[in-house]
Amino acid sequence: MIANSAAHFSATRQTPAAPTLIGGVARFARREFRDAIASKWFALYTFAFTVLAVGVSYLSLSGIGSHGFAGFGRTAAGLLNLVMLVVPLMALTAGAGSVAGERERGTLLYLLAQPVSRTQVLLGKHLGLAAAIICSLCVGFGISGGVLAWRTGGVGVGAYTMLVGFTVLLALAMLSIGVLISVCSRRTAVAMGIALFTWLAFVFISDLGLMASSILFKLRVQEIFGLAIINPLQSFKMAVIVNMNASLDVLGPVGAYASRTLGGALPWMLVSSLIAWTALPLGLAVLLFSRRGSV
Amino acid sequence: MSPPRLTILISILATVVRSADGGTGNTPIPVSVVAEMIDNAEQGDAILVPAGIYEGNLIIRKPIVLDGSAGAIFDGLGEGTVIEVLAEQVTIRGCVIRATDEDVTGEPAAIRVIAADATIESNTIDDALFGIDLREAPNAVIRNNTIACKNLEPGRRGDGIRLWWSHGCTVEGNTVRGSRDMVFWYSEDLRIDRNTVTDSRYGLHFMYSHDTVIEENDLRSNSVGIYLMYSNRITLRGNRLTNNRGASGYGVGLKDCDDIIIAGNELLANRVGVYLDNSPSSVDSTGLFESNMVAFNEVGLLATPNTHGNVFTGNAFVENEEPAATHGRGRLVSNDFARDGVGNYWSDYAGFDLDGDGIGDVAYEPRSLFGAMLANEPNLRLFVHSPAQQAIEFTARALPELRPESTLIDPSPLASPPRINSAIAGGGIGGARMAVLAATLLSIAVACIAALGFERGLPAPQTGVRS
Repeated sequence: MIANSAAHFSATRQTPAAPTLIGGVARFARREFRDAIASKWFALYTFAFTVLAVGVSYLSLSGIGSHGFAGFGRTAAGLLNLVMLVVPLMALTAGAGSVAGERERGTLLYLLAQPVSRTQVLLGKHLGLAAAIICSLCVGFGISGGVLAWRTGGVGVGAYTMLVGFTVLLALAMLSIGVLISVCSRRTAVAMGIALFTWLAFVFISDLGLMASSILFKLRVQEIFGLAIINPLQSFKMAVIVNMNASLDVLGPVGAYASRTLGGALPWMLVSSLIAWTALPLGLAVLLFSRRGSV
Repeated sequence: MSPPRLTILISILATVVRSADGGTGNTPIPVSVVAEMIDNAEQGDAILVPAGIYEGNLIIRKPIVLDGSAGAIFDGLGEGTVIEVLAEQVTIRGCVIRATDEDVTGEPAAIRVIAADATIESNTIDDALFGIDLREAPNAVIRNNTIACKNLEPGRRGDGIRLWWSHGCTVEGNTVRGSRDMVFWYSEDLRIDRNTVTDSRYGLHFMYSHDTVIEENDLRSNSVGIYLMYSNRITLRGNRLTNNRGASGYGVGLKDCDDIIIAGNELLANRVGVYLDNSPSSVDSTGLFESNMVAFNEVGLLATPNTHGNVFTGNAFVENEEPAATHGRGRLVSNDFARDGVGNYWSDYAGFDLDGDGIGDVAYEPRSLFGAMLANEPNLRLFVHSPAQQAIEFTARALPELRPESTLIDPSPLASPPRINSAIAGGGIGGARMAVLAATLLSIAVACIAALGFERGLPAPQTGVRS
């Protein structure tokens, strides 16, 4: 822990004791959560995600009478697409606004004047935003789960639970990247711009680029797989599919290769990739934020 | 056989058995006791075998009825075939039969029949390599048996039910779990009705077996639901094929089969709904697909490029990832996707029906750029279910010159899905559990907001507050 000793000293004159490490983080997390759920972006994203998730769940099962029970796979595929579009955007922009916004408004100085370390401030912000995003996802998945219970008789409860779980992991990873972008940016607009570009890169550019390279350079299946799982969105997608089908055969030769060679290690590998994408950018953000001389 | 003689027979046998097992009913009895009962019986007698566990292998050489419904258990002790029928007109009913050999070389079965006119009904077979094996056993009836095979890796399993050169048999109401196939070799004029096969390799597998009707079977979670090979004049009606997504993963697969009728079936959530490999193969034959529900499969209809001469009418293709595709390059245009002006329902049809006659006013011609790319570059299948795939399809819609040729042409697509219901009840299970999950997720959100979202004694840091 790298404490800001000056801030620490000045703060102890106002309050008798500095909060503990956890207490400090929790305090900032709570504040960040409150600010987040009171903000317009939270309401907007929650609304958009919920409406789209319910729409996907309902429409993919419409017009087929009593056959709905088998439609969970198709619904899940629709939800997968939706999650991969909306959740990274939500988490990246939330993270990108976190530090840059305070810095631009000048409130970051006040924050850092509290008897807490910079690490605590940043972790608190990450945690608070994470809680807010999880709340938002729970609302969306909760309501569309209700639609599924009504329309399909609830086949795929386990798969749906795992879909929610993996989505949370994806959101945490994207939030960490957003926070890292925010720490590096002086202005909110810049942070948001970089976040949007990052979103484009993860969602479209990297996949399309990999498709093109695999055709142009005649990449082998193991090369395509290795390059694909670098993208956390691909890791997320494969984790959901391997959980639902017990194999990646539906993803063609590359998926079959992954299932055959990695077997039982595959789900863990995919989850580790998501966790690494959460931990590494956040760690880097903490390092940069603690070292930074100016605010 | 007259009732008094049956009573006498039973009382004699019961005495023998009681002396053998000390009257407890749980001590194993050598199966030679039952063999003796058969030796003492007249042809055509019904032998009600007393409750007990009979160990060893039994061979039946006389036309009798072996009735185990009093609680007879035949245990092969993991050696050989448990019951072998060498005589005609034998009935085996209500027995529990278990523990065949595991080694495939002798093809050990719970029941093997090598004679005509057998009836095998209401038996429970467990821990068997092969379940019921008919070899040159015509006119047999296999009815209402429950078969669970040995828990081996798929490559080492045997068949739940196998018919070999056995014409005119009826196989109905059986339940098979975890076997290789329910397979029919060189057997003609069969009735295969209301069987359930789950967690096996091929649900129903036909090899060179012609002229058969297959109705109302329920084939779930196998590698392939029904695979017909080199078999002609077969009718599939009212079957449900769900979630067959193993290595092949076809709901129904046809290889070199002529004059097949597939009507009123449900093919749901398989990797591939219907797979056509050079079927029909003769010039003058057709394959008819009528009023089937093909929904939620990765690929609805997959065919080798040379496939021609099939007729599709009144089917519903609903929410398949790809409605129709060829295995490799090529198109499906040498098949008819309408008959007498009645086409099929396609859930991705973007046309319209202005005159309201139920038939879309423009032809259905699916032209998926990503689908065309997949046909050339199978590795790209890694990118299905992703926004990048949607982006490619969107681009193809925006720039028509990029659009590939259509994979098929349905000149008169249906404007709304036809009502198709098989006789098999749907699996409406677990609705409450999903509702509980939904409620749990919502309450997590509420609890988070309640716990963190409001002032609760602890003052927030005195800093600038965002609006």
